[in-house]
Order: sequence, then structure tokens, then C-alpha cells
Amino acid sequence: MATEPGINMEAKIDARENPFEPYLDALKKVLEDQDPIFMIGIVVSLAVVVITVVFLKYILSRKTVQSAVLLVGLCDSGKTLLFSRLLSGKFKKTQTSITDSSAPYKAKNERGSSWILIDLPGHDSLRPQYVEKFKSAARAMVFVVDSAIFQKEVRDVAEFLYFLLTDSVVSRNVPSLIVACNKQDITMAKSAKLIRQQLEKEMNTLRVTRSAALSAQDGSAGASVHLGKKGKDFEFSQLPMKVEFLECSARGSKGEDGEADIASLEKSLAKL
Amino acid sequence: MLDFFTIFSKGGIVLWCFQGTGVTESFTGPVNALIRSVILQERSGNNSYSHDALSLKYKLDNEFELVFVVGFQKILTLTYVDKFIDDVQLHFRDRYKNELEQKGALALLNSHFAFEDDFKMLLREAEESSKARGPTSMRSFNASLKSQKTVKSMIETKGGDKGKEQGGKKNKNAKKEGKAITTREKAKASTSAQKTEENGNQGLTQEEIIQKKREEFIRKRMGAPVEKPSKSPKPVKEKPKGKEKRVWTLGGSSTKELDYSQSNGNGAHAAGDQGLDAQADPGDLLAVDYESILFKMFLSPKKGAFGGMFGMLKGLVGSKSLSQEDMEPVLDKMRDHLIAKNVAAEIASQLCDSVAKKLEGKVMGTFTTVASTVKGALQDSLVQILQPKRRVDILRDVLEARSQRRPFVITFCGVNGVGKSTNLAKISFWLIENGFTVLIAACDTFRAGAVEQLRTHQRRLNSLHPPQDHGGRPIVQLYEKGYGKDAAGIAMEAIAYARNQAFDVVLVDTAGRMQDNTPLMTALAKLIAVNMPDLVLFVGEALVGNEAVDQLVKFNQALADHSMSDKPRLIDGIVLTKFDTIDDKVGAAISMTYITGQPIVFVGTGQTYNDLRSLNARAVVGALMKA
Repeated sequence: MATEPGINMEAKIDARENPFEPYLDALKKVLEDQDPIFMIGIVVSLAVVVITVVFLKYILSRKTVQSAVLLVGLCDSGKTLLFSRLLSGKFKKTQTSITDSSAPYKAKNERGSSWILIDLPGHDSLRPQYVEKFKSAARAMVFVVDSAIFQKEVRDVAEFLYFLLTDSVVSRNVPSLIVACNKQDITMAKSAKLIRQQLEKEMNTLRVTRSAALSAQDGSAGASVHLGKKGKDFEFSQLPMKVEFLECSARGSKGEDGEADIASLEKSLAKL
Repeated sequence: MLDFFTIFSKGGIVLWCFQGTGVTESFTGPVNALIRSVILQERSGNNSYSHDALSLKYKLDNEFELVFVVGFQKILTLTYVDKFIDDVQLHFRDRYKNELEQKGALALLNSHFAFEDDFKMLLREAEESSKARGPTSMRSFNASLKSQKTVKSMIETKGGDKGKEQGGKKNKNAKKEGKAITTREKAKASTSAQKTEENGNQGLTQEEIIQKKREEFIRKRMGAPVEKPSKSPKPVKEKPKGKEKRVWTLGGSSTKELDYSQSNGNGAHAAGDQGLDAQADPGDLLAVDYESILFKMFLSPKKGAFGGMFGMLKGLVGSKSLSQEDMEPVLDKMRDHLIAKNVAAEIASQLCDSVAKKLEGKVMGTFTTVASTVKGALQDSLVQILQPKRRVDILRDVLEARSQRRPFVITFCGVNGVGKSTNLAKISFWLIENGFTVLIAACDTFRAGAVEQLRTHQRRLNSLHPPQDHGGRPIVQLYEKGYGKDAAGIAMEAIAYARNQAFDVVLVDTAGRMQDNTPLMTALAKLIAVNMPDLVLFVGEALVGNEAVDQLVKFNQALADHSMSDKPRLIDGIVLTKFDTIDDKVGAAISMTYITGQPIVFVGTGQTYNDLRSLNARAVVGALMKA
């Protein structure tokens, strides 16, 4: 009697295997019937497909690897001239940029690393679009400030800097920030230290006003990233990214024919 | 005579420049102004721009991303400039093709463009060609064709009879009046009579009249009998002859003359010419060739079918540069689409022209169609228009004003019924939520119930934020002086009161007024000019269509005209109301920002206090471009 369930089980198992069996047998037969070369061909093509998929994934992920340094700043702060000086050392007359310019830059360090330097237009209506386009590729940002008229523009400068720092992509990638206080050849130019203090004060106020700003009409609120530490006054050292303030002069103290005083900027760029 | 000529890349690097002799000022300022007001505001449909005393013309080269700008004094009218820019552009492109084709800015930075000689040569050519078409000297009478014709050939028999008859009659009268009339006067009378009769038919020119007079004078001197009286009995005699058989010039005794298959209508001209001037009338309209038009219409679809198929394939693969004809159908469709989305008609056409200028000559990549390129460019320009050109942060500005111990004054203006009072209440709610004290100035002294409406809002807002929370002082107060008073005076008093009582913000509500009501517009301009508010907001409803253009233009015009100072206070920002009533017909936002160049500061999306938003440019453009 005990064997009966066993036989039944076996019978059941056999029955279960049986429906698959003819299919398996048929498949085996078809495969055997085929030319071995054809089989190899199928296997190779499958392998190629798999490799391509893996390769594409690798390449696509490489694109988001930050390989560019952005030159950003307000209109007329000297970004395009700085771009020209860094790349070729020459003085060029410039006009308001309408589009971006990019070129590969060889850093002056032992490794000789080279990355792409991108000059973005600073005009208010073009700024957001271009920052949007290039922010994911940025490994560092050079924020150019016009030190001579800084006092009048401090609120605009701070707003743009706030917009950059609270952007979700930027706060995720954490590119290093170099604030280049340009136009030091003008006598009334403010020093980098003063500019840093003023910006910190301004960003403090902006934290309050920007978070109280109205949400957009389709419901999307502004950036919810809070800069610095809550409860304490804002300082650049509280930011997750590396921030550096330096002075430079794209025009150079000797006018158009002389060299530009961008040694400190080049040094910082070499450290990247 | 040109002040300057620059060639620079769209990335901002000046490749080559030329400064005219004697010009000391730098051209960077005017060119920057050109870029900011024309190219960036999408007004590039019209390619000239004036800045102070200079007139600037420009041309965009979209294939190599270059801009060519020429500047000259506005008082000069140089006719060769347009063609000159085109020539320079072609020349420059051909010469520096290699450097320009390289991608990346390094080539532009490192190469030196020695374009001086070519430029001077082109300039010389252009100036010479304009001088060559100088005023032509008048031909002498003997050189003209008229002197070769005799007077008799120019007079048609029918009109001539009548004229001579009249002349004859008049001469008889003149004879009766007295022989004192000189022959010249008789001649004059006859010729003037002739003139009046022959007005339609011949139109004798001055020369012919002089000729006639001369002949008559000579005849009279000779003592020959006066022509007119001798001729006048003739027609009288001729009349009883009976009706002459009428001869139609085109009538044709034979059908051969009616066969126009060869001459195509020239036969008629030749016959009619004998009576008229030999020179063809320049104002003559050529006969519309109906058949050829039909023929063309019939042919083109066939061509189009084949061309269309190949064109599609051509368009997908390889680099094709965009031309005006390629973009035409797409732009027309986009224009209609924009107009369907409630963008004002002239704004839509200006936008499409500007996009066409920006894309002309651009080389498309593979697998991009003309439609996608044009749509992308249009989307970019729309986002660019909606982006504010200055910082928009009211709270920050209020804090700044507070630190300077003065109130921040906002004035609301607009036509009737757009929602000024409602949105004023919403904005004051937002401000008190952020801890600012608000004074509402009721400068609408005309509309029934305006002051009471504001008083109700004040009471409600105070109940929402009771004074106990803010140190015993009501956070919103109303400054009103009843009805019928002068609005500018009330505003001035309200601002002084706010300064004394240390209010943070003053919101000035004005009466709604139509833009062509001159006395009311003058009153509004006076209010704004006298009180110098920090922010002048124009309140416009999103439902408005083409009217938006008219409203904004006239409001700005009135504010500019009636202000005493050099820098008049114009509209600084726009409040777009009733945004919840339109689904995706958001075109009014585009019309308003395009016309004024000012940002949309607030968007009203409903009728409760919380329905106040800011503008998200991308979302609006997305809704606009959605099919």
C-alpha cells in the first residue's frame, strides 16, 4: 500500500515532465538539425548584443562624468576675455556673448591634464538656459565677479550665486567653486576678502527671502536646498563643496598689450 | 563715412573691427546695446537699430555663428549699406572658411583676421556704385522725341473738332468784345479752351501748348487768316455731311487680325499707340497673364510631389543649410499655432520673422528635420523672452527699503475689471505672511464701492493676522480720503504717512481706465511722475488677446509723454491675472513681455488670498508649444 502513493507520485512526476518532454525533445532535434555554423552565428550575435549594451551603458555613464569647467558670472564681468586669456594669452576685444564657447584647456601642472573650458553667456535672459544645459557636466565652476562695480551689483551677484548653489544637480555633484574677483586693475576694485564678507551677508538674507518666495503657477516650488547650517549665519566654509576666492585681472595692469594677472587663477585651475 | 564695422562671433570674441577716421568713441557700447535690445529680445526681424546719434545695421551669419555690424551717423542716409554688408559677409566667409569651420573657439582665438585690404576695396566699390547712380541730367527739348512730332499728329480728330469749335466760338466772342485783345490773348483763350475740352483724351503737355502758341503767333505775324475761325465753320459744315461710318481699330475686316495667338496682345497696343505718346506710360499695368498662372499652378503640385519625396530624404541625411523657402511653411504653421494660443497676431509674426533670421543659413545635422529645428529655435526664443531681464525679488527689495528707512511703494495700474484690487489684497496677504507692515492707499476715488472693498480686505487681513502678534499694531492699514478727490494727492499723503509711521510697504490702488481715455491717462501719468513709486505694476488679464499690445503700448506712451524728467518711470513689471480661466492658451504672457520687455512678477490663479504665484517660464512655453 505504501508504494502505491509512491507509484502515483512517480506517475504524477512523469506526467508533469511529460508535457515538457516532447517540447524539449523537439527543441533538441531542431538544434541538432541546424548547421553548427549557424548555431555559432547565433551565439556570436547574442554576445555582440550583450557587449554593445554593456559598452553603451559605460559610455553613457561616462558622459555624466564631469569633464568641464564653466565660466559663469553676471553680464560684463569679463568672462569672455578671461576665456581668451586662459586659452591663448591674447587680448581680444569682446562683445556681449549670445552663445557659449568651449575649447579644450591644458592645465599648467605636472600631470598636464586637460579638460574643456566653457564660457557661458551672462545676460539675464540667457543664463538659466545655459546653466541648465551645462551644469551636469561641470567639475568646477569659475564664478567671475566684477570687483569694480560690486557694491552696486551685490544683490544680483548673490542671487545668481544662490541660484547656482541651491540647484539640485549642483548640490548633488558638488563641483568646486572658484570665485574670481576680476577687474582688479581698476583702482576702485574691492578685494577678495571684502567681496567674500559681503556675499556671505547677502546670502544670509537671501536664504530667508528665497524660501519665502512664491511657488510657480504649476505648483513646482523653488529649490528646497538649504545653504549652510540652520540657525547660524551663512559662511562659505559651511558648503559641501570647496570654495576659493581669488583676485585676477583679465585685462592686465599694462593695458591691452601686457600680460593678464591670472597667475593665481591658473594655479587654482591646475589644482583641479 | 562709416563710423565703424565689426565682425564678432556669437560667443563674444571680436574677430575684426574697423573704426572710421576721426571716430574716437569705442563702439562696444552701441553694439552691446544692439545685442541686448534687438537680438536678445527677439526683435531681429527688422535689421536696423538706432542708438543715440548712431544708426546700426547688422547681419547674422548662422552657419558660422558670426555677427556683422556696421554703424554710421543717423543723419546720413547711406544707400549702399545693406548690399555692402552682404558683400562683406560673403567675402569674409569665403576667405576664412577654413578657420571658421573648425569647431571650438581656439581657431577663432588664435587666428588673426587681416581683412583690412579686402574691406577697403569693398567699401570703395560700394561707394562708387552708389555715386554712379547719380541724378541724371535732364534732356534738352531737341533731344527728346517730342520735338520730332508735329502738333497735328498729336491731336485726335474728334476731340480736336470740339476744341476748335469752342475755340472758334470764344474767338468770335473775343472779336465782339473788342479788337484790343491781342493775338496772344486770343491764342491763350483758344488754347485754354482746348485744354479744358481735351482733358481726358490727350492731355496736351506744356511744351505742346507752347509749340502751338508759337505757331499761331508766327501765323498771325504773317497775316495769315486765323486758323480757328476758319476751322470752326468747317466742322459746322462737316456735320450736315451725315454720320460717318465708325471704324473700329480692332474691329477687323478680316478674321486674321483677331488671331492673337502670335502677338499675345501686342497688336492692340500698336494700334492705340498712334494717337498717344510713343513712350509707354510707366504706370501702365501689364495684362495679367491668366493662362500662365493657371499653367504654373497645375505644374507645381506635380513637381512638388517628386521634390517633396526627395526633399524629405535629403532633409534627413546629410548637412543641409536652411533657407527662407524651407522654413516658410513651418513658420506659417507655427504662426497660426501661436495665434490660436492667444498670442497677439503682430507679436506672433514678429517672433516668426526673428526666428527665421536666426536660423537662416544654419546647417542642420543629420536626422533633424526643418520642422524640429524651427520648433526648437522657437521654443528657445520663447523661453528667452519670458526670462526676466533683471532680478525679480520683491522681498529682498522691501528689506533694502526698510534698511534705508523708507517705505517700498508699489502702484497698480490697468484697464477696468482686470483684478487690480483683488490682486492687491493677495499681494498684501503674502507680504504680511512674511512679516511686513502694509499700508493700502485707496487712490481709486471713482468706482463705487472701491474704498469699501479695500476696507473689507483690510479687516479680513487683520483678522487673519491679529495685531496682538505684531506688537499691538494692526499689520494692514487703509489710507483713504473718500471719493472724488485727486488720486495723486492722496498717494503723496499716503506715502508721507507711511514714512512717518514706519510702514514697510505702500500699495497704491488706482482706478481702472481705458488706454485711449486721454484725461485719465494723463492723471495716471501725473500720479506716477509725482510720487516716483519703486515699482509700477501693470495688471493685465490672461484672457486678453490682441488688445494687450494696444493697452501696454498706450500706457507706456502716456507715462513717457507726461513725465517731466529725462528718464521717465515706465511700467516695471506685469501682474498676469485670471490665469486659472485659461487652460493652455497662455499666449497673453508672451505678448505682454515681448511688448514691454519687463518680467511677469506675479500670476493670479484664483480669487482667494492664497492664489498668487510666480511665473515658471518653461512650463508656460511647454503649454504654448503643446499641440
